[in-house]
Amino acid sequence: MRQWYRIVFPKNYLDRRKRAGFLFVLPALLFFGSVFLLPLAQSVLYSFHKITPGGAREFVGLRLYEKVLTDPTFWRAVGNTVQLLLLSVPTTVVLALAVALGLNRIASLKWRNLWASMYFLPFATSLVAAALIWQWIYEPVYGFLNYALSFVGIAPQKWLQSLAQVLPSIAAVSVWVRIGFDTMIFLAALQSIPGEYYEAADIDGASAWQRLRYITLPMLNAQIIMVVILELIFNFKIFDQVYATTQGGPAGASQTIIMLLYDTAFKFFRFGDASVMAVFVFVTLMVVTLLQWRLLRRPVEY
Amino acid sequence: MKRNAKWAIAIIAAALFAFAMPGASIAQQKKLVLWTHWDQNPDFNKWYAEKGKEFAKKSGYEVEVVTIPYQGYEAKYLAAFMAKNSAPDIFMGMTHHWCGQYDFCDKMPVDLEKIYDQNLPKYMAEVGKWKGVRYGIPIEHGNFQQMYINTDMFKKAGLDPDNPPKKFDPEWLAAMKKLTIADAKGGEPTQVGFAIRSKGAPVGITDKFLPFAHAWGARMLSPELDKATGYANSPAMVAALTFFGDLVTKDKVASLAFGNPEDAFGQKRAAVIFRESWYFGWLKKNAPDVNFKVYALPCQTVCPGAGALFPWTDLVYKNSPNKQVAWEFMRFISNAKDDMDHHQLQGILPVWTANLESDYVKSRPDYQSTKAMLAQQVPPTYFHPKSNELATAFGEAVVGVMFGKGQPKALLDEAAAKMDRILKD
Repeated sequence: MRQWYRIVFPKNYLDRRKRAGFLFVLPALLFFGSVFLLPLAQSVLYSFHKITPGGAREFVGLRLYEKVLTDPTFWRAVGNTVQLLLLSVPTTVVLALAVALGLNRIASLKWRNLWASMYFLPFATSLVAAALIWQWIYEPVYGFLNYALSFVGIAPQKWLQSLAQVLPSIAAVSVWVRIGFDTMIFLAALQSIPGEYYEAADIDGASAWQRLRYITLPMLNAQIIMVVILELIFNFKIFDQVYATTQGGPAGASQTIIMLLYDTAFKFFRFGDASVMAVFVFVTLMVVTLLQWRLLRRPVEY
Repeated sequence: MKRNAKWAIAIIAAALFAFAMPGASIAQQKKLVLWTHWDQNPDFNKWYAEKGKEFAKKSGYEVEVVTIPYQGYEAKYLAAFMAKNSAPDIFMGMTHHWCGQYDFCDKMPVDLEKIYDQNLPKYMAEVGKWKGVRYGIPIEHGNFQQMYINTDMFKKAGLDPDNPPKKFDPEWLAAMKKLTIADAKGGEPTQVGFAIRSKGAPVGITDKFLPFAHAWGARMLSPELDKATGYANSPAMVAALTFFGDLVTKDKVASLAFGNPEDAFGQKRAAVIFRESWYFGWLKKNAPDVNFKVYALPCQTVCPGAGALFPWTDLVYKNSPNKQVAWEFMRFISNAKDDMDHHQLQGILPVWTANLESDYVKSRPDYQSTKAMLAQQVPPTYFHPKSNELATAFGEAVVGVMFGKGQPKALLDEAAAKMDRILKD
């Protein structure tokens, strides 16, 4: 308390320095507090209340948790989200790593940057715009994909209009959007691995696979974990693409947890129920991230 | 350093003050803001702004029209109403939601209420009211679906466009089959008899299915709107949904691969569609080469009647600082001439009784069909505060049947149980 007092009313040079430091981080603290912490606290609070927007708020204890966690629609949305995760995250990470390894072998800086930019471009595109373009690509009757497939004799598919194909189709869009970002991270990490390791491995007669297995992958461990966590969070929170393309359809086959949360809050105006879902997402992501961090992280020594 | 720190504190304090200061006094003191999500009717929306210029001459207030995309409009509206200072003065919405589920609407002044009670057709008298109190001005007379047929496609299929089937029976189905052109390679048909809604929010799918349900004599909720089981899953509803689902899965006269059904009809890929009066204006503007006629919806055990799931009205926001002026504007446009001009501009049926036999209305292709629909029994209405959520739960069963996720009875039982939970909660 005394320290805070001296920051506000400094008595000496050191106090003034502390105050200056505090003022530098204050905007970030205010931003983080108002945009992340406050809504989080509000969500937790709301999850124990039945709320009428613009009206009354009634404390209902754990009743909303019981209601949401026993609702089949909620678990169907969780199931869809997990399926989407399983389809997109490994594919994105593996493909991004493969692309980064390929780009890393290009000696010309100019060509490497050109290719890297091409992969990165979808990441810079608006998700909704990208989703709308893909919606046209997937269009069953006039879409580009079915047109292209017709040249190799494959019958037209329903893609976003099919119960079985809708999740893989959305996952493909996610992979396309995210691959560039992950590639950049892997490429930067690959370029920081000391060349001596590979030279030593060559002298010892290591194969390409052995170099990848025993040098590259362990050295990329921290980046792989980070990318997996980021992909996990991105895909768990997926909304834009689904909202713009299928709105959770057909027949709820692509309704993800955030889609359901959105509908519950803003279409049905059940803020309490939606807050329970938000808390569920937060806790799940927190636990999974901590587990990944604990189980997969390996110390790397150069 | 000391001086810099003082400056930093001053800047931050000024920023915080600006952030915390209510913005109402800064913005739009001489402007009424009107929000609409009828994005398919741009001329109808623009008319408010044009009329606002006339209104400004006597009041000093112009009208700014903001068109909110229909998809997700609820979230935008709700956020604005809760924030208060970014909300519109006038908005388009359903009375049972914004005035029933919430308390965001201002009650209509008595003199204006009297005008509407005296000048609306009888079947529309309740549109815009919640618990007997009038809040909103109904904006669409023909807010019920009718049967639009493509006359050229009918002729080509050897059918008489002047005498389309009038019942949901084997004859209607045979006509739809004649109008459907299958893909030679076994893919999706290139042309369908019936344009079906299968995409988007289930609530919209429910809306498009309800005429079938009502024609079979079924209803989604009890007359008191307090129960779904026994109604949403009644044998009549199961029969209606079986017929509806079979259009896609068994009879194959409708396709899930076609996107927006309105576009499919406008692109001559579908021969029949059920839509409201605004669709006439939309077709004239967006697909002027489509030759069509409009008929009353087919009947089955009964006729479906003129009913709507979405009774749109213009409402005044309760917390608007300009609400008195907003009502003045509403009063300014509440007369038969403006009603006619406004609706004719977009090709929509006018609302006032005085205009229903006008030359414009009589010249429309839906004049006879509208009269025929209005002569039928009034179908059930579902003006419940939770109608969105209820219709979504019901729509999940409808769309589930179309996509072959289950049998109509099982899915309707599940939906009815869910709807009862929503009603009790």
